[in-house]
Amino acid sequence: MASRSKLSGIQRQVLALYRGFLRTARLKSPEERHRIESVVSAEFRENARNIDRKNFVYIEYLLRRGKKQLEQLKDPDITGLSTLEINKVYKPLNLK
Amino acid sequence: MAAALSAVVSAKLGCPPAAALGSWKGSRISSRNLVSMKTMTARRGLVSLRSPRFRVCCAAKAETVGKVMQIVKQQLALGEEAKLAPESQFTELGADSLDTVEIVMALEEEFGITVEEDNAQSITTIQDAADLIDKLVAGGGGKPPAAA
Repeated sequence: MASRSKLSGIQRQVLALYRGFLRTARLKSPEERHRIESVVSAEFRENARNIDRKNFVYIEYLLRRGKKQLEQLKDPDITGLSTLEINKVYKPLNLK
Repeated sequence: MAAALSAVVSAKLGCPPAAALGSWKGSRISSRNLVSMKTMTARRGLVSLRSPRFRVCCAAKAETVGKVMQIVKQQLALGEEAKLAPESQFTELGADSLDTVEIVMALEEEFGITVEEDNAQSITTIQDAADLIDKLVAGGGGKPPAAA
């Protein structure tokens, strides 16, 4: 209980967004659901690891973006989601 | 009703006009009113005993706890041999807050319940989860998730 009640408002918002994505993923076909879950989970964990916890402006931007994406995903006509990993392509260039 | 009640109350306080009224109508009416007040308070006492708050503190069924443990193991990718206690905190088992959300979602699906946002925040141990699940299942909150 103690560790939970210490969560800040913005942390709660992030968790609520995550929960919203997982809930919406249930409505899609099983294999799409699995893909959505892994993409969303990877995205959240990646951001949790890499973003400074005090970078509120950026976190709030991501929250807004995530909420918009969630709204789109809730549309029954949208069956799935995919990601482009542009960073991977550019990495060799950055190293040089 | 209110007038009759005030008559009874003032009769109890011993005001002369009300006392006269009581003697004039006989004690039957005032005693009936007194009885009806008594039943009202008695019923309120019963309702509060049955209110959901009292059910929260009941220990969850052993099979619920077992099922919860199974799902937690699955979600956190712990081996079958991992020893879990009902008091184990998810954070002690290596779960972060995102894992906890996943655990709660998996439990919702398994038991066909919907956990509200603020309840979901307060689940930190297997016992918490099992208690809440038993409460929701007993409260008729159980709906097949397919309906969602």
